[in-house]
Amino acid sequence: MTLALTRPAPAVASGDEGLLTDGPDGPDGDEGRRRGRRRPLEGRAARRATTARLLLRRPGFLVALAFVVLVVVSALAPGLFTSADPYATAPIDKLLPPGPGHPFGTDELGRDLFSRVLHGGLLTVQAVGLALVLALVVGLTLGVVAGFVGGWVDAVVMRAVDVLLAIPGLLLALAIVTAIGYGTVPVAVAVGIGIVPGFARTTRAEVLRVRTLPYVEAARTGGASWGRVLLRHVLPNSWGPVAVLAVLDLGAAVIAVAALSFLGFGAAPPAAEWGTLISTGRSYLVTSPWLSLLPGVFVGLLVLGLNHVARTLEEVQR
Amino acid sequence: MRTTRPHRRLAAAAAPALVAVLALTACAGGSGSAASDGATSTDGSTAGATGDPVEGGRLRLAYFPDNAAFACVDPFQTYWIEHRTVIRNYADSLTDQDPETGEIVPWLATSWTVDDAGTEYTFDLRTDVTFSDGTAFGPEAVKTAFDSHAAVLQELPTAYGGVYLAGYESTEVVDADTVVIRFSTPNAAFLQGTSTTNLAVLAPASYAKTPEERCLGDVVGSGPFVLDSYTPGEGISLSKRDGYAWGSELRENTGEAYLDGIDITYVAEDSVRIGQLTSGAIDIAWPRQPITENDQALVTANGAQLVSRSLPGPANNLYPNLSEGKVLAEADVRRALQKAIDRQTYASTVFGADYPAVTSIYDTTTPGYVDHSENLAHDPDGAAELLEDAGWALEDDGYRYRDGQRLRLSTPVVQGFTAGDQLIQDQLKAVGIDLQLDVITQAQRSDVLSSGDYDLISTYYTRADPGVIQWIVDSRYAGSKAQADNALTPEQAAQVQALLDEGTTTTDPDARAEVYGELQDLYLDEALAFPTFERVQTAALAADVHGFRFTSESFGDFAGTWIGDAS
Repeated sequence: MTLALTRPAPAVASGDEGLLTDGPDGPDGDEGRRRGRRRPLEGRAARRATTARLLLRRPGFLVALAFVVLVVVSALAPGLFTSADPYATAPIDKLLPPGPGHPFGTDELGRDLFSRVLHGGLLTVQAVGLALVLALVVGLTLGVVAGFVGGWVDAVVMRAVDVLLAIPGLLLALAIVTAIGYGTVPVAVAVGIGIVPGFARTTRAEVLRVRTLPYVEAARTGGASWGRVLLRHVLPNSWGPVAVLAVLDLGAAVIAVAALSFLGFGAAPPAAEWGTLISTGRSYLVTSPWLSLLPGVFVGLLVLGLNHVARTLEEVQR
Repeated sequence: MRTTRPHRRLAAAAAPALVAVLALTACAGGSGSAASDGATSTDGSTAGATGDPVEGGRLRLAYFPDNAAFACVDPFQTYWIEHRTVIRNYADSLTDQDPETGEIVPWLATSWTVDDAGTEYTFDLRTDVTFSDGTAFGPEAVKTAFDSHAAVLQELPTAYGGVYLAGYESTEVVDADTVVIRFSTPNAAFLQGTSTTNLAVLAPASYAKTPEERCLGDVVGSGPFVLDSYTPGEGISLSKRDGYAWGSELRENTGEAYLDGIDITYVAEDSVRIGQLTSGAIDIAWPRQPITENDQALVTANGAQLVSRSLPGPANNLYPNLSEGKVLAEADVRRALQKAIDRQTYASTVFGADYPAVTSIYDTTTPGYVDHSENLAHDPDGAAELLEDAGWALEDDGYRYRDGQRLRLSTPVVQGFTAGDQLIQDQLKAVGIDLQLDVITQAQRSDVLSSGDYDLISTYYTRADPGVIQWIVDSRYAGSKAQADNALTPEQAAQVQALLDEGTTTTDPDARAEVYGELQDLYLDEALAFPTFERVQTAALAADVHGFRFTSESFGDFAGTWIGDAS
């Protein structure tokens, strides 16, 4: 499944009962291990099959997943779904209601709204992706360092994270975007920094747990350097919950990006992120409600879909 | 054409309302005939004068957001259009200007003489006028005001009133009701200047305050209302001045105002402001940008009235950056750009089918305006040809290149209002010009100007005198010197300044008009400004607001306004 692939697979079977333990699905994955350790593999394959069966029995999950996949595909390749130019104005056709030729109607300059929503999707997907990558990298690093090194480093990093946590996310993002300028990348950075604290905290908690486990001690006793222990043993076994958090935060990040572009911090015109579309449409809410509502419904459904997928995965794992 | 055309839509919507009113008044035996000059009259004079004025009530008015860069209600310093409406209602000027004819008529001055050179203005003043703090108006007050203006200009050379006072030398009190204002160089626009809000006369006590204190509302005027409070960004409150009896003859009501007061708020969202009006939370919605077509439909559907009048002064123009190395330093690119903009479509798309397209660098209500629509015709083929001949060749991506460099222009746009800019962007794309819209905040504008990091920037200024363009393009007077320097090459600047000087020293109105006609020719022949739209002040008035009037500068005059029954 697409979603399962986005989750980094633990390199070592850790016995973490709370996590999906499926490795890479590719046939060239762990040939060596597969031959060497037959029993656990069968167990893992069986568990994976059970999980898949459980998921398939939930039609809601399938619908949500299908919608999310559709949105991602349409964002990456909008040309597959619409041939209309999202930037070509056609004043005679302005503010047309949804209908044949214009599934979502047209905006105040006669541009095809459906095409603008799909093309705006790429910007949003980019921003959300960038924000998550940033949050993951920074959050993991801070968390691992704080948890593993401990002492005053831990204290300093965690107090900094506390400060970030104390500031409301949207406010923090607004402050950052005002300081570094407008556009998709600044918005992504702002949203990313806004969700770093959660990642850092979760990672640190896991690292604190993992570092006391016997195999870490064994690795140390076996002569492995601290760096090696950190990278080979602690990090791979700590990032599971963080990965779950990342999936959960996808929906939140979509909303945050849309909120910032709604407030006018998004990409430079004529490009329009979803928030920008909703924002410009709101002046026409009474006379041409589709301008705001259709992009709004689109974003709403995507976020609902993402949340549903994330929650279902979480439930099925238990 | 000085008056705007009545809104057909409004007339259509008003007709059933009028029928209803007529039916009601016929039953009551009242003055039914008065209803016929109801809501349909929108041409600059009064709107909705139905029946006899009713006294009392406070008018609730909502503006678009306050000036974040310079919060000020001091007549001499502010340039903010909305605050000049406020000033018109709390302070009086020496003269008034007829919106219909442009003629200057007496107000605080009963008569005046101008010497032939245009350097000496003698005013006979009214003797029955007092300021709201009780002090009497007279030649001393005028002298205090003008001397203070000169002092402010020493301290703050970019203070807005400066453009009205070019060459000011001194004021002399001749006798108890006569004052002479002298200029070292002729200032032909000064008489019109005395009718503006910027040269409104405040009580001497106000000029003892610092310019900052005056900006924040420590001002005393002699107008039909008294400024009670001004809280930047939040609101303004005015109350009626008891005993007012010296309104200009252009007012229907020269005595005390009918309203008890005016409460002004700032509302950022256009849709919210219109919603407030249609739901009865406010009486007047007064946006900066014209009310959009669909909002107009909402307003008229709710029985409210629309009033509109072109703001005199330069239209909404884009001024180029002609400095070294900029693409627009090339005249052919500028001419092509001028041809590539479709102003008719712009007006009808962004503001509605009835909206007038811009026809010169000036709005139509500006004295001296000359119709130049033939210079501003949409001609994409002509534009393409000019660019082709200049070596800008069309590539596969739809844009033009020369020496591997794309024909790219950038313009800063302020967050929020970008529909029109995006339309122009697409119109330019049709001829292969890549227009980048850099979104900035209002506060970043001065940085952009001083860094010169732009190709086009839009600005405007409102005054019922064509000489006001000095404030934009003449670096000796301009509000932003950087912008004025960039807007013309040194040779062009010399040419333009010579014309502007001739304009300010020519007292004969016809000869002046000719000078500014020449200026418009020069600007459009050389493509030194790119008009995008005629600036029309629109406001939506609740159905029960009557007796509203636009001044010659298209500001609101509420002295004769009253709240009665819905018309």
